[in-house]
Amino acid sequence: MADTVNTHLDPQLNRRGFLKGVTMAAAALGLSEAMIPKMVEAAASGERPRVIWLHFQECTGCTESLLRSSHPDLARLILDIISLDYHETVMAAAGHQAEHNLHETVNNHPFLLVVEGAIPTKDNGIHCMIAGKTAMEILAEVAPKASAIIAIGTCATFGGVQAAAPNPTGAVGVWDLVKDKPIVNIPGCPPNPVSFLGTILHYLTFNRLPLMDKLNRPLFAYGRRIHDHCERRAHFDEGRFVEQFGDEAHQMGYCLYKVGCKGPETFSNCPAVRFNGVEVWPVSVGHGCIGCTEPNFWDTMTPFYDRLPQVKIPGTGIVEDADNIGKKVLGVTAAAIGVHAAVGIGKGLIKGKSSHE
Amino acid sequence: MATYEKKKCWSVLFRLFHWMYALSIVTLCITGFYINGPWTNTMIEGSASFPMAFARFIYFTAGYVFAGAIIIRTFLYIFGNKQERVWDILPITPRNIKNLFSTILRYAYISENHEVRLGHNVLAGLTYLFTFVVAIFMIISGFFMLFPEVATWQGIGTAVFGNQQWGRYLHHLLMWWFMMFALIHVYLCIWNDVKEPEGIISSIFTGDKFLHK
Repeated sequence: MADTVNTHLDPQLNRRGFLKGVTMAAAALGLSEAMIPKMVEAAASGERPRVIWLHFQECTGCTESLLRSSHPDLARLILDIISLDYHETVMAAAGHQAEHNLHETVNNHPFLLVVEGAIPTKDNGIHCMIAGKTAMEILAEVAPKASAIIAIGTCATFGGVQAAAPNPTGAVGVWDLVKDKPIVNIPGCPPNPVSFLGTILHYLTFNRLPLMDKLNRPLFAYGRRIHDHCERRAHFDEGRFVEQFGDEAHQMGYCLYKVGCKGPETFSNCPAVRFNGVEVWPVSVGHGCIGCTEPNFWDTMTPFYDRLPQVKIPGTGIVEDADNIGKKVLGVTAAAIGVHAAVGIGKGLIKGKSSHE
Repeated sequence: MATYEKKKCWSVLFRLFHWMYALSIVTLCITGFYINGPWTNTMIEGSASFPMAFARFIYFTAGYVFAGAIIIRTFLYIFGNKQERVWDILPITPRNIKNLFSTILRYAYISENHEVRLGHNVLAGLTYLFTFVVAIFMIISGFFMLFPEVATWQGIGTAVFGNQQWGRYLHHLLMWWFMMFALIHVYLCIWNDVKEPEGIISSIFTGDKFLHK
């Protein structure tokens, strides 16, 4: 089997690296060791699925993190098991030639569509235009012909930072616009390349998309909360907390709950799979999770360094901590009770007699 | 001199509900505040002390008592005695609408007129009903956070709250309603006990009220 690998794939990718990449993806998928040969076979078969990769309103960080993962084999594996017919960042073609490649694949071949970036919908979508067409038009043209769609990154899944209130460009995720196609959401800012590779390999091996949660996120990567798998969890249960960044507890590596870590609210495999092949992720280097895999995280997870969002009272411009408002409202309630009681007592004193005697 | 007659008002199950509800709310507020913003801290490692795990254990236990109380109340709203059923307090009959306004006027010291009524007055009953609805939201958001991986809770929670953080946020905000409610509830019980010797406070222990003959 190992020999067939090199006949079909880029000779730069050696056997060891290839197997390592597939094994990583199998582990991330939670598949048994016995499945690895099947996956290797699927990944090594000459029939590479055609992939169109559309970039819309985004920073290209998802592609960057994919290409710059410090396991170079992983990035190369992704690029080698798929035939990337159109990808604005890495394709050699430009201008009309690039457009031609896109239409050639869309019209003549089955393909997987990967979308990176949100789609602006306000003002007829003019806030993001490529080759004279709006992102909405391009998606409407390409998506119906795709066999499945993978939305990579929080922008393509839930709108991302562009969709943060007041969402000036009306940015939305792919699944808000495309309703009749199987869609896998792989959110994250950026998501782990292993989650993307795992989804692709799952599709290649089993010919169907992985099991997903209510937000269409594959369960193998987004099935559990960060908090429940966190290496600092023991410090949480045993009451050892960082009070502020740089304090002694921070140096000791204690729990970041009090400085606003959103691990308890966020589903992702970060603590298990980690990033960049050097076993790091935000919490391991001393910064709390900001919840980037969750819908509307710019609005619901901020302030990043507090536990809960602040209360905004519309029309008044009041933005305050929930507990401060709660204390005030409770104080006003107590004062009202005091006034009520005083009025009753005062009235009783004036009348002099209770009516029931 | 008015004469009073002892009347059976609240069933044993209703009183059980009340005290499960009351005690679990107090426990949930205190441990809930701790879980949201743990006010203790330590640098001791390797000791057998688990303040957060302990607080969470107490919290979840109280949460189940709270949910149990709401199940009992749901049952009583439909199958309880006359005073306990939901129809007794809904302002849909002329008697109940009249009682709603007379209660508001009486609480505002505008009228001294006290309607003899065995169960809740309609204003109180509606407040309890509202609190019951809030409690259901607390239970949904609570189980959504406790069992994030269970498809049922994930489905309901995601549909109602969007994500875990928003469920947590509303769970926290709605807690303040229970604290306000408790304050007003206890005050008005004392107020009514002072105004009318019906034994409103003892009724939640004994189940009996005293009404004008």
